[in-house]
Amino acid sequence: MTELLVAEGLELAYGEIPACRGITFHVDQGEIVTLIGANGAGKSTTLRAIAGALIPRAGMIRFRGQDITRLPSYERTRLGIALVPEGRRVFPFLTARENLELGAFKYRNDKPKVSTLLDKIFAMFPRLSERSSQNAGTLSGGEQQMLALGRAMMSEPYLLCLDEPSLGLAPMVVQDIFRTIRSINAAGTTVLLVEQNARYALETASRGYVLQTGSIIASGPCAKLKDDERVREAYLGGGAKKLFVS
Amino acid sequence: MLSVLLQQGINGIVVGSLYVLVALGLTLIYGVLVQINFAHADIVTLGAFAAYFFTFVLGGNYLASIAVALVVGAALGWLMNALIFAPLRNRGNELLPLIATIGVSIMLQNTMLAWFGPIPFAFDTPYSNDVIRVAGMFFTIQSVLIIVVSTATIGLLYAFMKFTFLGKALRAVSQDRETAGLMGINPNQLIMLTFVIASALAGMGGAMLGPVLVLTPFAGTSVIVKAFAIVIIGGFGNVEGTIIAGLLVGLIESYTTQFLDPGLIDIVVFALLLLTLALRPTGLIAEKREENV
Repeated sequence: MTELLVAEGLELAYGEIPACRGITFHVDQGEIVTLIGANGAGKSTTLRAIAGALIPRAGMIRFRGQDITRLPSYERTRLGIALVPEGRRVFPFLTARENLELGAFKYRNDKPKVSTLLDKIFAMFPRLSERSSQNAGTLSGGEQQMLALGRAMMSEPYLLCLDEPSLGLAPMVVQDIFRTIRSINAAGTTVLLVEQNARYALETASRGYVLQTGSIIASGPCAKLKDDERVREAYLGGGAKKLFVS
Repeated sequence: MLSVLLQQGINGIVVGSLYVLVALGLTLIYGVLVQINFAHADIVTLGAFAAYFFTFVLGGNYLASIAVALVVGAALGWLMNALIFAPLRNRGNELLPLIATIGVSIMLQNTMLAWFGPIPFAFDTPYSNDVIRVAGMFFTIQSVLIIVVSTATIGLLYAFMKFTFLGKALRAVSQDRETAGLMGINPNQLIMLTFVIASALAGMGGAMLGPVLVLTPFAGTSVIVKAFAIVIIGGFGNVEGTIIAGLLVGLIESYTTQFLDPGLIDIVVFALLLLTLALRPTGLIAEKREENV
């Protein structure tokens, strides 16, 4: 398989406060890879560095063979990285349609292309098409998550990064979202998934990395990670056996 | 009586629409940066002087001078951002640009004072004395011109914000700069564009305010104080609110002059400002802000 994204020895910090160190992982073309771990383990921070919202202190990020470590986020979108940020972050006073259009900002000079993409996203999320002229801030949490996902797909990314897509959503809605993520992947988009809900994440992804207090402590195929003692410890500090009983 | 009411109403809208042009710039800049440009007043003044010199020294057409003032304003806005706001951004202290713009304002005023002197310039446009009479009311061609030009400008700005990719991107940057960056929007370019648009509006506003105001190097200051009041009454960063509040302040001025006393204008306007702050601190026309975490 061809390598799409490689991160090597990332050291990440918010100002003076260190968050992650020695983060090394890779994502191959066509995969769904997940980063899991408890709250505050550094998953979102790592994902923000991949999308360019946070520039690493040290280490290297390579995307499709190109060094992008210090590239600003707006340049990475052009190369084919899209991030669905934690908490959705839709533009609340823009309509759903306007939110989607902005996702295709890099195609702004190609109107027909933008409307083809819009049709595609509306077909994927019929709900959004019903709400297209509503302000995004008035949509429900699940609808906003679909909007954020659709907005990211409007840039036709090679790599779709998702930050806690299940956060604050009802279980039914979460299942819907994960089904959509799988079908996006089946259609050819590589996915990097950050999730606190390890069960959903490990069922959806093919490989995973486990983070604890800013470092990767385990990695491997999800089927193996499910039974890995270290994963349980990463979440509950050991002794918990019931986490993955479904 | 009715015709007096109507006449003063129209006078109020004429002045109000000029206030709107100036106040919109403040609101736009506040919207994307949450910063205040104190030198905005001097862009108004320089716009007025640019129009004056173009018309009376170079012998140009007054209508064309409005366009000249617009270009001068746009250039000044570009400079303000490139020299002050962009270098001071992300330095950690939001007060830095604010204080820097106060410095720039003082510098510009005194430079103008050195060049133009303190004596007011008589800025009579060729249209100030042409009067048309409709249904017992009088309008100068100048006031018709002001209404047409400012309405067209505000309409164009509104259409730009609503219907173009760049306008939508600008609104996105003002709602969530970081996420806008994730969309492939370069926020720095959009901030630059905002300064250019805001200052172009101030410049052209100055060209049309010049004949109304006492044109000295400090002319802009009297307008900017009202523009601040308008921005607060309309709700900081709220474009629709600013338009309504600007027209409202124009009307209040005009009716205060007619029925009370011209000397009371500032008292009435700022009483309204204080009332707004006390009762509706988010502005008269509050947006339905449901903050998303």
